Amino acid sequence: MIEFKNTQIGYQQPLLFIDELNLNSGEIHVLIGANGKGKTTLLKSINGLQALVSGQIEIDHRLTSALNHKDLSNLVAFVSSKFDGIEHLKVYDYIALGRTPYTNLFGRLSSEDHIQIQHAINTLGIDYLSDKLTTEISDGERQLCSIARAMAQETPIITLDEPTAFLDYANRVKVLNILKSLATDQQKCIVLSSHDIDICLEMNLPILYIDSNSNHLIKTNTTSKSLLIQHCFGM
Amino acid sequence: MEKRHRILLIIALVLLPVLAYFHLTIGQIQLSSADFYNAVFNYSDSETAQLLVREFRLPRLIMAIVAGSSLAIAGMLMQTLFNNPLAGPYVLGINSGASLAVALGTLSGISMFSSNIGLIGLALIGALVFGFIVLGFSLFVRNSLSLLLVGIMIGSFTSAITSLLQTISSADSLKVFTIWGMGSLQQVELSQIGIITVFFILGIFFSFFLIKPLNALVLGENASLLLGVPVKNLRIIIIVITALLAGLVTAFCGPIAFVGLAIPNLCKMLFKTQQHLVLLLGNILLGALFLISCDILVQGLEPFILVPINVITSIVGAPFVIFIILKRLA
Repeated sequence: MIEFKNTQIGYQQPLLFIDELNLNSGEIHVLIGANGKGKTTLLKSINGLQALVSGQIEIDHRLTSALNHKDLSNLVAFVSSKFDGIEHLKVYDYIALGRTPYTNLFGRLSSEDHIQIQHAINTLGIDYLSDKLTTEISDGERQLCSIARAMAQETPIITLDEPTAFLDYANRVKVLNILKSLATDQQKCIVLSSHDIDICLEMNLPILYIDSNSNHLIKTNTTSKSLLIQHCFGM
Repeated sequence: MEKRHRILLIIALVLLPVLAYFHLTIGQIQLSSADFYNAVFNYSDSETAQLLVREFRLPRLIMAIVAGSSLAIAGMLMQTLFNNPLAGPYVLGINSGASLAVALGTLSGISMFSSNIGLIGLALIGALVFGFIVLGFSLFVRNSLSLLLVGIMIGSFTSAITSLLQTISSADSLKVFTIWGMGSLQQVELSQIGIITVFFILGIFFSFFLIKPLNALVLGENASLLLGVPVKNLRIIIIVITALLAGLVTAFCGPIAFVGLAIPNLCKMLFKTQQHLVLLLGNILLGALFLISCDILVQGLEPFILVPINVITSIVGAPFVIFIILKRLA
């Protein structure tokens, strides 16, 4: 689904190098690495918000450099680490915004749109939140709403920037479990960054780590926390 | 649309002709409904009553509706664009841009600039230029409070220049400009209503095409980009429509403060939604209702004192805005 070839990610100077890597549908990948090593920048690059320094990323066999935001909105959805809620914005309306790429000129929701929104709501088990305002629910609930919004966007790829950073332990496990089942049950390609090394190892989630010496992104099957910490943080 | 939204909009829609009726009939000279009917459908210019309806009452009512709705829509557009509930065409200096351009035109004494088209043209150009100046600042000034301060500084700067122009202009043109600057709905003549209505309808028409991107823009610029919204073009289109609506009002009524700031906030509190279809319809109706009410007050006070409409909107609007700020802090 996402193919990297000699990709250099960064701003003026490359931060992160990916020689060759394929991320497939039905898989979940957790990006692990020290602060400032380019996890967020990588997610931005997949979303077309940051140009590559060199090399290429192909999404669904099309170069990201040749895709505009309209095209990308049908391929990749993005969830940020924190959604603070917006005054007067209802949860249902927030999730409905995920349908923006599909609605008509005036943004009118069709019955198909409502079905997809309700499907996302049911999958995440947040039906009880539908009529609430995004400002009157908890951080954990808001994060579930953001994932529902990304789901309603019906993209083959969902990227998430530290989606568990502001959650308590129970909610971290809950969110990661939901993401894992989205990958396997709905054949999505899910890429998220995280600092929750313990939970990810416990849950057997495939890990991509950024090596602190070479600044390369490396796929690993290791289950050793100490080895990962050594690679990522040089400790 | 939710049932609650529909009910509120229908109530506002029903209130509109009721208030319009009060607005038309509250003047000092009593008029019969036959006078109104004849003035529109069976006009004879020898009848003073009909003349009064046609030349004063009706244009004033239409202007109240146009100005109230336009400023409210312009405020809504600014608030969503800058993601700032305290933004508005007046606060961000877009009105002052229009004022400055009109001042330059009228005080120059060149007759072309005091014609209808000249006046609209000047106000639109002024509003547009200052709209883009604010937009330019917004790309660097990310903090919403700082952006408001920049807008207020732009406003002070332009009024200083306007004052400077006044000191060097002739007594005649100064009088014209001073009266304009007090803001009023009754300077509009029947002959101008046509062009005003055309611009007004154009502004509203294009606003409907912004509903979808505005809904997304509530999430922020990056999030909207990722939903496929062409944010760069959108920013420019929003500024152009805002300038059109705010410039139009400023050209014919002078500065009218607080409508563009208070009404969009009132709509959000009343409708409790970020759906811009509801908000747009709400702002059109509530903006018109608000300004008609203010002008009824102006007319009611006319036997005793002449109060400019700008004074009424500020007396009502400023405390409401302070209330909004306090409510947000709480």
